[in-house]
Amino acid sequence: MKKYIDHNFLLFSGFTLLLIAGMTSLASSQKRIQLKFSAEISGEPFKCGTEYKNIGTTSSTVLPSDYRFYISNVNLIDTHGNLVPVSLDQDGVWQSGNIALLDFEDGSGPCQNGNPQLNDMITGLVPNDEYEGLEFTLGVPFDVNHQDVLMLPSPLNLSAMFWNWQGGHRFFKVDMATSGRPVPATSRTTASVDSTQTNPPSSGGSGMGGTGEEEAAGFSIHLGSTGCASASRTTPPASHCKNPNQVIVRFDQFNTDNNIVITDIGRVLKDTNVDVNTEDTAPGCMSGLRDPECADILPAFGLGAEAGEQQLFYQR
Amino acid sequence: MIPFFRSTIFTGLLALFFLPDSYGQSHTYDWGLPNWVPLPVVPEDNPMSEAKIELGRHLFYDPRLSLDESISCATCHQQELSFTDGRSTSLGINGVSGIRSSMALVNLAYLPVYTWANPILTSLEQQALIPVFGSHPVEMGMEGKEDLLIQRLQQDNQYATMFARAFPDTAGSPISIRHTVQAIAAFERSLVSFNAPYYRYKYGNEPDAISQSAKRGENLFFGERLECYHCHGGLSFTDNMIHSRLPFAEKGFHNTGLYNLDGQGSYPMANMGIREVTDDSRDEGKFRTPTLLNITETAPYMHDGSISTLKEVLLNHYAKKGKAVHDGAAPSPKRSQFIVGFSITDQELEDLLAFLATLTDRSFLKNPAFSNPFDQ
Repeated sequence: MKKYIDHNFLLFSGFTLLLIAGMTSLASSQKRIQLKFSAEISGEPFKCGTEYKNIGTTSSTVLPSDYRFYISNVNLIDTHGNLVPVSLDQDGVWQSGNIALLDFEDGSGPCQNGNPQLNDMITGLVPNDEYEGLEFTLGVPFDVNHQDVLMLPSPLNLSAMFWNWQGGHRFFKVDMATSGRPVPATSRTTASVDSTQTNPPSSGGSGMGGTGEEEAAGFSIHLGSTGCASASRTTPPASHCKNPNQVIVRFDQFNTDNNIVITDIGRVLKDTNVDVNTEDTAPGCMSGLRDPECADILPAFGLGAEAGEQQLFYQR
Repeated sequence: MIPFFRSTIFTGLLALFFLPDSYGQSHTYDWGLPNWVPLPVVPEDNPMSEAKIELGRHLFYDPRLSLDESISCATCHQQELSFTDGRSTSLGINGVSGIRSSMALVNLAYLPVYTWANPILTSLEQQALIPVFGSHPVEMGMEGKEDLLIQRLQQDNQYATMFARAFPDTAGSPISIRHTVQAIAAFERSLVSFNAPYYRYKYGNEPDAISQSAKRGENLFFGERLECYHCHGGLSFTDNMIHSRLPFAEKGFHNTGLYNLDGQGSYPMANMGIREVTDDSRDEGKFRTPTLLNITETAPYMHDGSISTLKEVLLNHYAKKGKAVHDGAAPSPKRSQFIVGFSITDQELEDLLAFLATLTDRSFLKNPAFSNPFDQ
């Protein structure tokens, strides 16, 4: 028992020493910054168990079950317009290298497949200088993205945020049940002759008819790289993916003391019908270029041939 | 002040030099893991030790833990079947049938949550109480018979020695219910398996450990057409996972569309999944994703053992958007979004089954350290 106490004392002394050393150098040349994020859905803060109305083209009501994303390459922009990298705290949980996980699900209610921990900020050090802007990337850099998820440090080793070696990580993940156009089970058979449904029954289908509603067991928005050529699903691609789908976000006037970054998936879904899913495509939009549910979502991320200005992030 | 400051620096430096060694000493138990495998997370109040595992192994195989001394943990958890029992639903004392299929006991130390359908059952120590003392259903039938159990264990001199070795710092008699479940939990945590051909192929530098057919099956398994890996990914081929390098407990409960009794996704009343615990109708039919390790040995399949073979699991259940469809109902509106249905050729099916067979670890099924100590 005596030995155990000594050991703790050693630990404590060691950390104290490191802390003093760290603070000394900090005072002279670097300053600490906190970059705060808020996750929202059409202007309302995201919370597990809350329903959100008026989503997408059908004014659907949605019940989300996940809201997480990776941010990397965080830079402040100095008064000369130079990008100055933020050196992220290596906390062993939320931040590793130049990558951070923002996590707004708390594992409660419909988010039960998540975890209780939450993270709404990125912390790190920058040179002690004046800054006026912010730039960061939504996504995981290619050199880390496709490594074995079991071998990577936290927060990159969450299987919930990983596709496979070939596809790499899910950069952005929102899952939701949608109920704007509920299909009561009792009217299922009549739904299959709904004249508005034009999709033919698929060959691998159930014989229930190819109604979009039947397939809409939830709607997901998963952003990640696609077109990553590799020998197999469990082999990392040798060269960069055809569609990296990394989104660079820039705010020319951003003060980390006063401003926060808002993430609003409701804006991304504005032109999408979240109550249907095209047969033989991923549920919702999982970054598929030819998935009709991605047709308006990818451009709203600022991606693809039809790319507009990214709609997901704005500042407040 | 000055001497104190100097000693702080000195001890601080000492800490930096000696920290790794002294840290390692608190983890003297050797898990026998390949070096790529992260260490499990063990409850602080129940550290692993050889003595505790050996005690737990004896208790696990001891029928005196059941009221009529007819069954032990191993009755429903047989090593050669990856600690399942080959039955659809397990039998308790007096031939009373349970409602669920015995789960494989493999890599339990890497799970954050236990049993088929209880999101708040997060430790093996809690879990071990249920089959011994539970009354709904009756399994080992010891409800209210704690004194009888302790008395039986106290009458055995071998247990007196083993409990004392396993719990050396106990004031009074070390034979208690708490220590009994702690020892069983320690034995269960020791049941680790990372020697299946697929692991040796993927992580062990043995490119020929699995066949070409299995490699094609691997590609199907990790592909977006079949979607298997979304739930059966991770260290032990389940999305339920925790380990020393993962600060987040990952849990996964899903409705696979096995039943759709009323067109609204209902399951049989006796087996409604975690809805039983959460009382939320959206949780109807959600069960914890089981591991696929040793899956070739754990038939019949699903939480109620309602599907006999792996081939039928793939063709009659997953390919059809859930077995409810095979049984003539509509696809369940409550099923997971990853139950999308698929068509699959005979060759692809063969390849997928070949891949699943590479997850079976023969050395685990025969490991003498996990076998019945009373047979020796």
